[in-house]
Amino acid sequence: MTAILVVLYLSGGIVSGLRGVANLVVAPFDWTVSTIARPIGHLFAGVVNYSDVVNQNQKLRYELGQAQLRANQVWPLERQLQQLTTELHVPYVGSLPSVAVQVTAISPTNFAATIDISKGRDNGILVGMPVVGNGGLVGTVISTTPHGATVRLITDIDSSIGVTDGHGAKSIIVTGQGVNSGLRATSVPLNTSLKTGTLLWTDGLQGGLYPPGLPVASVTSLTLTPGAATYDLTLKPAADLRHLTYLDVVQWEPST
Amino acid sequence: MNRALIPVTIVTLFIVAFQLAILSSLRIDGVVVMLVWLWPLALGLAGSASLAVWSALLSGIFFDTHAATPFGLTALVGLAIAYVASRLGREGVGDLDSAALWVTPVIAAAAGFVAPLAYVVAGALTLHFSMWHASLGESMVVNAVAFFLLARPVGRLAIMVSGSGARVRR
Repeated sequence: MTAILVVLYLSGGIVSGLRGVANLVVAPFDWTVSTIARPIGHLFAGVVNYSDVVNQNQKLRYELGQAQLRANQVWPLERQLQQLTTELHVPYVGSLPSVAVQVTAISPTNFAATIDISKGRDNGILVGMPVVGNGGLVGTVISTTPHGATVRLITDIDSSIGVTDGHGAKSIIVTGQGVNSGLRATSVPLNTSLKTGTLLWTDGLQGGLYPPGLPVASVTSLTLTPGAATYDLTLKPAADLRHLTYLDVVQWEPST
Repeated sequence: MNRALIPVTIVTLFIVAFQLAILSSLRIDGVVVMLVWLWPLALGLAGSASLAVWSALLSGIFFDTHAATPFGLTALVGLAIAYVASRLGREGVGDLDSAALWVTPVIAAAAGFVAPLAYVVAGALTLHFSMWHASLGESMVVNAVAFFLLARPVGRLAIMVSGSGARVRR
């Protein structure tokens, strides 16, 4: 019981200071291990996965070309949308400023889906700001230091996001299912227009945690429990959360 | 002061660094192998109770400062593992040289299987209920298998660093 109380006590304010000191102590060991082990790991990974890397490179070049083409096609529509949303006083995510960041670490534990990023308070990053990249919403900033921040991924068990399909469907809540798991939504009405493959976006409801229009996830299956009057959805994040390197922090704060 | 304290402290810090820099990204079926729990177990089985407890505390605290989970939980589970392993080590159970070849790996596998569950239960006791999730079973199985495979090499390292082997031989 005493141990539990100690844990509860330490979970408060002094932990942040302790984290900084511990980081300083471990840093030289961390650097040594990384310097020795990372190149060896990369060498083996490169040898084993060389053909995959070449294929991936070709695929990425193709996708980049496609994305550029789409961007050129979409530009007039985007401008029109921006004008309309401005007139309706709805925040348009494309017009919000963002800060480019690099992922410095992924969660070292099996029990929290988080990442650390390379910029913090000094670059205008604040708690609650959404983080996007790799094709969709990645997560939310949950803590900051002057030169770094921690982001809770959308798959974290504590994450919940209000989403919509953008075609008049009611807002539904998508929750994380833990590290390396997908997303889930429950109690979706039977008359929903959602089907497998439908892409869901942040609903941007007033007082919500995200601005509207950020792609969150696509539906992978709709399950009807016998006797239930609603669907359960399993969803796949729109962003590829397994390969996070560079991201954007959208400088948008939830309204209180 | 125990003469092995400094080498054990240095190796423990390297193990934390290896855990954070390598094992955290080298996930097996999405699961991180918790070397920071295997190390105090190996020291405990080597018969170094105080060093096992010290390394569990040190590695747990340093690991927890890098994780977004409740502070102290990894150390708490590590301490429990170190305590049980030390009791077994004192009885000579799991000794690499005298016990049967499979004993140490099986004890380690049992610890690897139970530790993630103990972590989640400890989390629930500190009112953090969100750590129950679908991949808990995978964490338990992967850690059990990894601990089984790594038990003997890590145990040998523990004997070497703590000087337990030299004491026994004298």
